[in-house]
Amino acid sequence: MTDFLQTMIASELEDAVGRENCSMHEIDKLTHSVDYFWLSRMWADRGRLMPLADFVVSPADAREVSKVLQIANYYKIPVTTWGGGGGTQGGAIPVAGGIVLDTKRMNKIYDINEQSMYIETGAGAIYKHLEWAANERGYSTMHFPSSLTCSTVGGFLAHRGIGVSSTKYGKIDDMALSLEVVLPNGQIINTSPAPKHAAGPDLNQIFIGSEGTLGVITKAQMRIYEQPECRRFRGFLFQNMTDAFNAGRELLQKFKPSVMRLYDPAETASLIKKIVGVERSGAFMNIAYEGVEELVNVEEKILLDTFAKYHAEDLGSEYGEKWWKEKITFFYPGHMMDLPQMFGTMDTIAPYDKIEKIYWEMKKAIETNFPMARFIAHFSHWYEWGCMIYDRFIVDDVPQDPAEALRLHNDIWSCGVRTALANGGVVNDHHGVGIKLGRLMKEQYGPAMQVFEGLKKELDPNGIMNPFKLGL
Amino acid sequence: MYFNKKSSDTMDACRFCWMCRHICPIGNATGQERNTARARALTLSLVKRDAAKLDGDIVDNLYECALCGGCTNDCATGWDPVSLTKDARLAAAINGQLPSYVEKLLDNHDKTGNIYGRTCKDSILSDIIKTLPGKADILLFLGADAVYHTPAKAIEAIDLLKKSGTVFTVFDDEPDSGYSYDFLIGSAEETRSMMAATADKLNGTGALKIICYDPADAKVFRHEYKEYGIRLNAEIITYPAFIKSLISDNILQIKKSETVFTFQDPALLARDLEDTESARYVLDACGNRREMLQCGKGTMLGGNLIMNEYLPNVMKLVADNRIANALHVSAENLVTASPAEYLLLRAAAGDKINVITLEEAVLSCL
Repeated sequence: MTDFLQTMIASELEDAVGRENCSMHEIDKLTHSVDYFWLSRMWADRGRLMPLADFVVSPADAREVSKVLQIANYYKIPVTTWGGGGGTQGGAIPVAGGIVLDTKRMNKIYDINEQSMYIETGAGAIYKHLEWAANERGYSTMHFPSSLTCSTVGGFLAHRGIGVSSTKYGKIDDMALSLEVVLPNGQIINTSPAPKHAAGPDLNQIFIGSEGTLGVITKAQMRIYEQPECRRFRGFLFQNMTDAFNAGRELLQKFKPSVMRLYDPAETASLIKKIVGVERSGAFMNIAYEGVEELVNVEEKILLDTFAKYHAEDLGSEYGEKWWKEKITFFYPGHMMDLPQMFGTMDTIAPYDKIEKIYWEMKKAIETNFPMARFIAHFSHWYEWGCMIYDRFIVDDVPQDPAEALRLHNDIWSCGVRTALANGGVVNDHHGVGIKLGRLMKEQYGPAMQVFEGLKKELDPNGIMNPFKLGL
Repeated sequence: MYFNKKSSDTMDACRFCWMCRHICPIGNATGQERNTARARALTLSLVKRDAAKLDGDIVDNLYECALCGGCTNDCATGWDPVSLTKDARLAAAINGQLPSYVEKLLDNHDKTGNIYGRTCKDSILSDIIKTLPGKADILLFLGADAVYHTPAKAIEAIDLLKKSGTVFTVFDDEPDSGYSYDFLIGSAEETRSMMAATADKLNGTGALKIICYDPADAKVFRHEYKEYGIRLNAEIITYPAFIKSLISDNILQIKKSETVFTFQDPALLARDLEDTESARYVLDACGNRREMLQCGKGTMLGGNLIMNEYLPNVMKLVADNRIANALHVSAENLVTASPAEYLLLRAAAGDKINVITLEEAVLSCL
């Protein structure tokens, strides 16, 4: 792009969003070039610059987003939507330059609807601010991911995020009632006013998880819930993983706890020991159950009876309460894995008849093919039909050459995810795909991928929306 | 580019961590990614690695932080982005990379003794100060923000002390505490020299107790002076803490009213000086109190007058957000305890809520 053309485009973007909300400054380009993706962090750590946007724009609403997308389509320049930048998959990195569209000025909370129990909000609102707004009226969003304080409503929707209380309250895709979306051609659309209907396929679920490749989510109605009368915790120690899986599966046929987290013996001996203080060998499982006290009393009895059948040692409430208090502390610098280590979380999901095998096969594949890597896991989101593995690899001795480090990183990821796919798992449970796993989407979906490709081609014929993400 | 070890460690810890984003009053107001502790740490870490230079808009970004300490207070691991930002401002000063608007404020101080460049004080305030004893065991330190921006409030602060029968003095030519220099250029030699000169003047009064009307001054007297090895002989006490003692000792007789107050904790008072209860004690004596979102140590900044000199639009957005928080609790009065927040919140409030000072609340209940 010539300087002249760049200046021309900048003036049009300034006209669309206001001069102070369109930047070509180095500070804005740099801060939008690195997200939570390990490769972008490693690249910056080695003193290398990640790809930079040409323009960073911060529109105030759907109307301004529409103008930006029309300009981008005319000049055929890429648009990468940026919410909080806390994604782990490189989804927000402007790998092809062009425009970064930062959504955080679209942070207005429009309505707290206590009759229908939702908050209508701009997609750029930080989720914690939604939680505060709900709390002020005595409610909660019940969305408590580790990135609650850093990520936006749109960011969670874009990659199908999840919080720790998902078993009872659902994933982010269960919490969205309706969306406002700006299509790549600049048209502003609304999905249906109710999320359950028989008026064709679910438009919400086309855009949720599309990672900015099909349009920009600008507004959303997100569910809120009554605060529970009581919330109780119970920690358990299992001597083998099979018993733990079976206990969890059986419990889910009876009632839905809010939190269910099972840590494998390796993670129990490391993270759980460090943060929660469990100094025992085995697999630690934390269960939270909450709601109306009368029901919680019944649930507690069912929980204890069920887990006793699987020889779980009841550790009482202390560790669970500590876990709840520290649930975000795990992710602060100094507690999490950090550079110079290489690490990744290959969260996958599968039905119960496959999940344990996937865990053992992935562990074997990583530890056999990459002896320099450690493998730890926990199982943090459970359903009646299956659960997810939050499995991590950690490499302490990382190649100094950044390109070599990148290759090793991608090799480990490909090996792990292909093993999951081969055994009935999914590319990803809740971190999304981004540029990190795009190459594996076709392996996951086979001919079904043409559905996504067809949508992409029809909605974004110039291919400007978040190119090279989601395998599209 | 050289950064000390603490700063170097902080930038490497914070550069990929967004956990405090929700608490930043500036980032929440502007919606700009650069207004996060993480963005500042990331760019400084790139400077450290010679991938970027500490100049231009990277330096500008250092001055988009109010140093309110919300991020530091919120960090579960104890990292301190405020200290990093101050260190980077010092590095920019040493390298001759200060923005022109910062140079202008420093020039103002050279010429007028205050960074606002004001050449004369409010005449009524001057006249009232002249009526006070020239020497006393208690010195009321008003601070530059009060003297030059809210003199009427300074007069009320004096009035309340007089009504309590307290014998005190106020400087007719009050020296700068050094807060403004510390804010702009950190621990530079100029800052330390200014603080040392002010300490000499304060010690020369023989006062046993210094009541700081502005928490910013109390903060540097208590912390930075000690850090820089500058000794103050007098006890430093904040204005809310002193008023509290007057009420609890029954020196001030308060008639409790039905008025509803909500208190805007000044960030430096709540976090650096760890006093969240004095003002609440006073307000509880005066009427009823409701707490707004993010109060106490978790307070959100309502405004900063130094930044208002070069980022007035941002300060307006910051104040607008805090007014919105206050309106949510349906209080009649938003009570402030820093001149900067009084001025900026009052401007943002319009007729939506009464913005008053702590002394106004007390004076209305005598």
